[in-house]
Amino acid sequence: MPNMIEIKNLEKSFGDNQVLKNITEVVKKGQVICVIGPSGSGKSTFLRCLNVLEKPSAGQIIFEGQELTNISEVELNKLRERMGMVFQSFNLFPNMDVINNVKLAPLKVKKDVEEEASQKAGQLLEQVGLADKAEQFPLSLSGGQQQRVAIARALAMDPEVMLFDEPTSALDPEMVGEVLKVMKDLAESGMTMIVVTHEMGFAKEVADQIWFMDEGYIQEKGAPDEFFANPKTSRAKEFLSKIL
Amino acid sequence: MKSKKIWITLVILIMMLLVPLGKVNAASDGYLQKIKDKGTLVVGTSADYPPYEFTVKQSGKTTYVGLDIEIAKKFAKDLGVKLEIKNMNFDSLLVALETHKVDAVISGMNPTPERQKSVDFSNVYYRGKQYMLINKKDAALYKNIHSFKNKTIGAQAGSLQYDLVKKQMKNNQVKGLAKLNDLVIALESGKVNAVAMEEATAKAFAQNNTSLKVINPEFNVDSSQTGSAMAFPKGATSLVQAANKTIAQIKKKNLINKQYIPLAGKYMTNNSKKNSMWNYWTYFAKGIEYTLIITVVSVFFGFILGVLLALLRLSKSKLGKAIATAYIEFVRGTPLMVQVMFVYFGIGAVIQSLPALLAGIIAVSLNSAAYVAEVIRSGIESIPAGQTEAARSLGMSQTLTYRYVIIPQALKNIWPALGNEFITLIKESSIVSIIGVGDLMYQMQLVQSATYKGVIPIFITMVIYFVMTFGLSKVLGYFEGRMKHA
Repeated sequence: MPNMIEIKNLEKSFGDNQVLKNITEVVKKGQVICVIGPSGSGKSTFLRCLNVLEKPSAGQIIFEGQELTNISEVELNKLRERMGMVFQSFNLFPNMDVINNVKLAPLKVKKDVEEEASQKAGQLLEQVGLADKAEQFPLSLSGGQQQRVAIARALAMDPEVMLFDEPTSALDPEMVGEVLKVMKDLAESGMTMIVVTHEMGFAKEVADQIWFMDEGYIQEKGAPDEFFANPKTSRAKEFLSKIL
Repeated sequence: MKSKKIWITLVILIMMLLVPLGKVNAASDGYLQKIKDKGTLVVGTSADYPPYEFTVKQSGKTTYVGLDIEIAKKFAKDLGVKLEIKNMNFDSLLVALETHKVDAVISGMNPTPERQKSVDFSNVYYRGKQYMLINKKDAALYKNIHSFKNKTIGAQAGSLQYDLVKKQMKNNQVKGLAKLNDLVIALESGKVNAVAMEEATAKAFAQNNTSLKVINPEFNVDSSQTGSAMAFPKGATSLVQAANKTIAQIKKKNLINKQYIPLAGKYMTNNSKKNSMWNYWTYFAKGIEYTLIITVVSVFFGFILGVLLALLRLSKSKLGKAIATAYIEFVRGTPLMVQVMFVYFGIGAVIQSLPALLAGIIAVSLNSAAYVAEVIRSGIESIPAGQTEAARSLGMSQTLTYRYVIIPQALKNIWPALGNEFITLIKESSIVSIIGVGDLMYQMQLVQSATYKGVIPIFITMVIYFVMTFGLSKVLGYFEGRMKHA
């Protein structure tokens, strides 16, 4: 499998606080990676550095051969089109209905024609099981429904990789399943995914690799079966003993 | 030591720049020639001072009349040029003269030594006594300046009468207002016990209002300080000489007493005969038109400039941020009235052809922009950062993000505050009346002078303002309703 994202010596500090300390990793095409770890370990910051929502303090992000940390805004916008992102708090646009949330970027960024964009948005909403909610406004939907719209919105740009930042953490427990189901389907369709999550069941079942983060480093990585059965580092052992 | 030297050099340089400007004007004195060249004599006056100057309605148009206006007409005729009258507050007249908004001032003005320091006067053309206006029911109480003790005496601010009251009636309060009409209202409602004014004017008010009476309070008046003269810019000797020639002719033929005052009296009786408000609806209509023009144009430019200022303040550029912040703080920290006067007299001194209406619109727009900018900034900052991040993660540029995601949401949030600003603007625009823009407030003052009625025009004006702001508030509410969804 070819490399999708190469992360080289990535560091990120906010003032004096160094959140990421020298991370070097590779994500291969089609891989599903679950990033887990205690809160404050730098997982979200790591994910946000990958599409440069946070500008890394040092190091390189190479996405399909293209270096991201020292390019212009215009080039960066182009590359972000190919990296979808889903947020913990959904961040749907409350001023437009569901279908327009999905259509906005294809229309304005890709300059798709209206008809084509509408058709595709309809299909994506079908895919996440929300075809009947197209005309509704985001705030009238449940959290699980909103998050599924957010996934459809990200998919509308035909991304090559999807970044999920704790997509189920803000949901009521009974809604977690419907979102994970959509994500699982997506993984099975071959999408490259990097998922920051606390859903260990999902990680075990869907991930190709688990990256365990703590104190700004990726402390341990491995296949899920091996990692969960037999963690090597004491930190991972401690973490797993607390949550399982 | 070094920095002190630099300062001194700087001050000298500035003085060298300024002094010649003043000198050149005085020395060459092209004043008369300049007026002849442009073919118009612009005369400033405060047209609320019958019989000297006041307004009448002639075939639907406001016309300035009175003995001063007749003199100005003769002066213009003698110079062979057209006459243009500019009406403004008495307080603003000398500033207008110094900043060359007008060529001359004729407004029943006394050539006091203080005024002579800043302007040049012609010979006195008319000398009236200093009288007082009192309520008829008080006629038994007040005979002269000595019958007043611990009373409040009204006088036009900045006038000779104001000084006389202040100096010669020391155990009384003096209340100065800009408009004689307001003083007369104050007298009728008992806010002041008497109003000091010039003989002819006092008599005019008494003639038109049966509850008032004139007395001669026997002020001790230095004859060199009384009497009315025309004022010209300092050093405009050619104009002063020309004016004196005209005045000499007027005196020789006794035109003031024989023609001008009787003519003014006729206008005044005509005015008071048909002083029902209905006859003056065109004044109010004109006022509404101007107020709406000023408001709409100012809202438009204020909003555009406000958006730019808000974006500049939120931008990454430190310089842009500093400029926008400084502008907003400065404009919010100074009164609109001062800003209007600064634009008209200050900027108007550089661009002399700047009309009052345009100056008013510029000042109100610039003022409104500062408030709109803050409203918009608060609106933009009220949108969660997640909205920007979501848009940017989809590949949308900063511009697209603002246009389709941030601004529509911000606009909805700030709509009530923005509406409030526009409603405020309708009311605040009334301040432009001080530089003589014919807005509703200004027209109200004209109607007051023309009808000798104080309160009714105020009431009508108040109702009109309310109808305008309430109407706008309804329109804004309709759009707010349409922006709500889900």
